[in-house]
Amino acid sequence: MPPPAAAAPATTPAAPTVGLSRQRLWRALTEPLLRQNPVTLQILGICSALAVTTSLAAALTMSAALTAVVVMAAGIISVIRRHIPPSIRNIVQIVIIASLVVVIDQVIRAYLPDLSRRLSVFVSLIATNCIVMGRTESFARRNPPLPAMADALGNGLGYSIVLILIGTVRELFGAGTLMGRPILVSVDAGGWYEPLGLMLLPPSAFFLLGFLVWAVRSRWPEQAEPPDFVPPDVAEGRP
Amino acid sequence: MIRGLWDRETVALLMIAAVAPLAAAWLWYGGVPAALRLVMMLLIAGAWHLIFLLARAQPPSYAGALTALAVAMLAPGGLGPLQIALGLSFGVVMGELVFGGWGRNIVNPATVTAMFLGFGFPAAGWPGVTAPLAWAAIGGVALGVGFGVMSARLAAGAIVAAAIAWAAGMAPDRAWMAAAVVFVLLVADPVTSAATALGRWLEGAAYAGLVVLFAANWQGATPVQLSVAAAFLASLAAPLLDELALWAWLQRRGRIHG
Repeated sequence: MPPPAAAAPATTPAAPTVGLSRQRLWRALTEPLLRQNPVTLQILGICSALAVTTSLAAALTMSAALTAVVVMAAGIISVIRRHIPPSIRNIVQIVIIASLVVVIDQVIRAYLPDLSRRLSVFVSLIATNCIVMGRTESFARRNPPLPAMADALGNGLGYSIVLILIGTVRELFGAGTLMGRPILVSVDAGGWYEPLGLMLLPPSAFFLLGFLVWAVRSRWPEQAEPPDFVPPDVAEGRP
Repeated sequence: MIRGLWDRETVALLMIAAVAPLAAAWLWYGGVPAALRLVMMLLIAGAWHLIFLLARAQPPSYAGALTALAVAMLAPGGLGPLQIALGLSFGVVMGELVFGGWGRNIVNPATVTAMFLGFGFPAAGWPGVTAPLAWAAIGGVALGVGFGVMSARLAAGAIVAAAIAWAAGMAPDRAWMAAAVVFVLLVADPVTSAATALGRWLEGAAYAGLVVLFAANWQGATPVQLSVAAAFLASLAAPLLDELALWAWLQRRGRIHG
């Protein structure tokens, strides 16, 4: 679901005033943080969001990697957007994204070998992440580089917010630590906190994401989907 | 009043009446600690029903007491009050109340609580089940079927599957007592068990089959643990089994009427 700004640049006059354009950039950057959050509103990219959030360090690394890839991919694709033949645009986009992912993966392997082992295949799988594919396909392909990169940065940060929130809760309550440092001293270490082992298992990530979506949609009810099914009004159903 | 005497609370009260002998036997053998545990569960479950009454105008249900009893009897012991409260709150809220209250939930809140505590605190020990409790549970099923709130087909499906396993030499000797108690407290719940005739036969058989399978092959699981896991999987399969039953009925109708 592209934001309403997606189609605007093609029709705006050649020289928009500085104030207007800055406003649009700011909107493209901040809309995906909460109101158009790719994870909680569009439920995109949740496989990696659920898989790498057992510790805050892994969540931060994954957020940084995805944000870097999506911003660079949006910039490159936007620069060459008039030269990509529409019939093979997906292939071109995937080649660009996958090349960036290989570079990022090698950087993480070189400088953060431990984290790279913990993230296993999920950095490589950024190449198929729905957020990256979605933003390049729906926004970067039709917009100039600066708005495209602002939009990509906003979406990367929106994804990061969710990952960091879930990663914090899972590491804090599952192991009693944050970034590996003990916060709630566990019983094994002579403290009082009994770690909730469930938090480190995959189902808890689903629960937490569900709670988060529930909270966001209670605060902003316009994000909730219309009901699929309206029960018939029968006498037995009325109190 | 709708449909004469029968509304949701009639069913809940008759369910409580059916498990009353089991609860009495459990309290008799458990003494004061068991009674305190039950009171604590009743308070927590009741508090959540009250909160949802105030926040969402959802009428509270006597089924909360049923959940409290099942959790008190089946959830892992040796946990602190905070952990118990966390597990029961999760089960009651996420398993039942957010769906609109008892009657609209898709899994039994007590099953959810027991699974949550079992996975969340793997070091906690599961309770044991003694022979008097198992006999009280069998009596409870008979009472529930007699009152019309538990399904005879569900029980018959489980008995047939267990008999087949026994004939094949795979009888779950160490698990049948726990399986009976879990059956009356969790599986026989009229809301979350299957709703079609064939579906009920299949779900009872699925529950007993899973218990036999787990008892034979799940190393290190206690009888209550494997029975609760079987009940959880069987209740998750119930909608699918209902769907299969409806599909078979539609096929038959199609053949007869063209």
